[in-house]
Amino acid sequence: MNVFVTPAMLGQVVISGILSGALYAMVALGLALIFGVMRIINVAHGPLLMLGAYATFFLYSALGINPYLTVPVSMLVLFAVGLLLERTLVFRVVDAPELSSLLLTFGISIALVNLAQLLFTSDLRSVEYLAGSWVVGPLALSKARVVAFTVASALTGLSFFFLQRTRLGKAIRATSQNREVAMVCGIDVQRIHLVTFGLSAGLAGAGGALIAVIVAIQPEMGQIWTFKSFLVIVLGGAGNYPGALLGGVLLGLIEQLASLFLTTQLSEVVAYVLLVLILLVRPQGLLGGRQT
Amino acid sequence: MSPRPAALAALAAVTLALAVYPEFGSGYGVRSTLQVFMWIVLASSWNLISGLTGYVSFGHVAFFGAGAYTGAILIAKAGWPWGLAALAGGLGACVLALAIGYPCLRLKGPYFAIAMLGLNEVLRALVSYFEDLTGGGNGLSLPTLDATVPIYYVMGASALLVTLVTYVIITSRFGLRLMTIREDEVAAEAMGIDTARHKLYAFLLSAAGPGVAGALTARDQGYIEPISVFPLATTITMIVMVLFGGKGTVWGPVLGAVVLFVAQEIVWARYPYVHPLLFGVIIIAVVLLMPRGVLGLLQIRYRLPRTI
Amino acid sequence: MPPALEIENLRKHFGGVSAVDGVSLALETGRIYGLIGPNGSGKTTLFNCITGVERRDAGRVAFNGERIDGLKPWVIAQKGIGRTFQVIRVFPELSALENLMVVTRGSGAAARERALELLTFVRLEGLRDEYAGNLSYGQQKLVEFVRVLMRDPSLILLDEPAAGVNRTLLNDLLDAVRRLRDRGKTILLVEHDMKVVMGLCETVFVLDHGEKIAEGPPGVIQTDERVIEAYFGR
Repeated sequence: MNVFVTPAMLGQVVISGILSGALYAMVALGLALIFGVMRIINVAHGPLLMLGAYATFFLYSALGINPYLTVPVSMLVLFAVGLLLERTLVFRVVDAPELSSLLLTFGISIALVNLAQLLFTSDLRSVEYLAGSWVVGPLALSKARVVAFTVASALTGLSFFFLQRTRLGKAIRATSQNREVAMVCGIDVQRIHLVTFGLSAGLAGAGGALIAVIVAIQPEMGQIWTFKSFLVIVLGGAGNYPGALLGGVLLGLIEQLASLFLTTQLSEVVAYVLLVLILLVRPQGLLGGRQT
Repeated sequence: MSPRPAALAALAAVTLALAVYPEFGSGYGVRSTLQVFMWIVLASSWNLISGLTGYVSFGHVAFFGAGAYTGAILIAKAGWPWGLAALAGGLGACVLALAIGYPCLRLKGPYFAIAMLGLNEVLRALVSYFEDLTGGGNGLSLPTLDATVPIYYVMGASALLVTLVTYVIITSRFGLRLMTIREDEVAAEAMGIDTARHKLYAFLLSAAGPGVAGALTARDQGYIEPISVFPLATTITMIVMVLFGGKGTVWGPVLGAVVLFVAQEIVWARYPYVHPLLFGVIIIAVVLLMPRGVLGLLQIRYRLPRTI
Repeated sequence: MPPALEIENLRKHFGGVSAVDGVSLALETGRIYGLIGPNGSGKTTLFNCITGVERRDAGRVAFNGERIDGLKPWVIAQKGIGRTFQVIRVFPELSALENLMVVTRGSGAAARERALELLTFVRLEGLRDEYAGNLSYGQQKLVEFVRVLMRDPSLILLDEPAAGVNRTLLNDLLDAVRRLRDRGKTILLVEHDMKVVMGLCETVFVLDHGEKIAEGPPGVIQTDERVIEAYFGR
């Protein structure tokens, strides 16, 4: 356990937290969208991210191009996968009791993970591309993480622009606020569900593509992302899309701080206990989203 | 509603057959049946919380692992006899269930599910952290002992016991109250039912079985490590078995355990690694097409009593 | 003797909307009260705050002089407050009989007896083993009504008891309500059917946009300007 903390270490931790925070935020935004619009908890969110990582890996191995160029491709592939899943399976449980959608997406997540295991084996893969760090004064910033931060921030910004300024985006927001009213206003709610799911998968795919350069790729890598995305949403408030941003950064900071003072294993326990505490004490999240 | 004599006779016959099986069964046969017993314990226990109250426990294997480690540590480090260690395993799992359940069951359905999702990871992390006690990633070895046959009997008795407990609960008002939580928790609370306490009781009951099974399995294998006793696959299998057989029924989990275990063995023999994928597909299919499971469907179609 | 129910300055908002905005009222024991108001005026939210289903934001609620705001719904129910819901909430996969029996603790035989008694009272004893979810709307409504009576509450909150119920049944129900009052129970009902309210209630409260705008005997309320305005606009 670390007792001596220099300002440099603290600074390092804060920066690292913010860097990973943006990525958490982007991925969690996808989950938040589905929950807000369809009232579904998509347990398969993490596995979708995993597929995005594999997409990047295979493109990189086959074509040898800059893996960051594969981000749009991974996004598109996952967007298509999301559309497919929604159109064939998920739409059936949108109005069913929550249990059904939980179990369904759980089943989908298992199927995806094991499909990946069958097709890709559980051998660890990696995309060795941008190793090393940029040194800024006493701080060392992992290059891959900085790029991930930049891209994730850009994509998150684009997402918000989309939600705020475009007609489709506004329709999505309207549907998540009040489905009945949205329908009455002529919004094709079925289509909104379809698109939202696809977008969410796309964001997960982007996350996967970015993380592929940073961590080892294997079929089970997505599980922890599902959990962390929930944590972000809980921190920021369910149904509160900007809250996902704050939640993401908060999670990043908390994680890094925890691993500074405790071992990395315990930092996961900290995240977990935090989740349960917040759900108990302030279920509407720190920014107080809508009451569900 | 008392069970018909024919059904009781059938049950007695099956129990007798299983009791004498080790005399003439092969080693593989005995071990497989032992495994079926274990799955019955796990599935029926999961049914107690998730089938009856509708609170889906995605981290239930945590109790199996907790029981396994409690039992293993007591056997390896404190020289306990395995029978006692198994009971301690059940108790250890209940303590964990109390610690987790007390805060988490206050959360509404979906939030509870999320909290349980993370439980697995956390426990694995804790096991690594307390390395001296648990052997960490290297696992824990138990002194060699061939006790497969006695363990067969104890596991079989546990399976019978859990099924009996399920029956008793489902036919009691306590069980009815648990079901109201699933049907309409808000209305249940407005009618004066202390849902928090009821959920906790069900949760504790549902942890004991896996705890004992975990300790027994640890003794039987002679060695445990974090990934062997906390695999997500175990939770998944538990869930599939209950969903398939019929959640909320007495014999549904048993049916699911037997059918899916046999199916798994057959598929595994031919196409290893496909069965987890199949399980995912089965879950999807059951949720969409047969949400009440086989027995649940029959129950509705033929107006069968709740006790099947 | 303290009032059966006393509400002081109750507030509850959802996001930016004030569903209940500083409502105060008092119910004397052994009388029938009505709670009316246009849709969205906060009536069901008020019920929810009283029974603990929703957490109020401000104000106090006292039952027989004892504060109950902030308590869990089952504790409040156990103290002697029963309610029905605007949208019927029977337990669909429990039989009619089980719907009633599940509510009480103690002897199963006694519970069964009382449940049968209540079902017979509303002429549903023949359907006692039928899944509540399979019953007709009116039948479910009756089951929900007698389910409330299983615990013998002293304060009964009825949310739109007349909605969707045919004339004969309705008269039986209203009769039952009067008899409950005669036995010393206090009843507060939310209703849209004005004939029911006028014929049954001794005092009526009127809510509009979360505020109490009038209170008094039904005859007086009927002609109150503010009430007319709330329902029909200027």
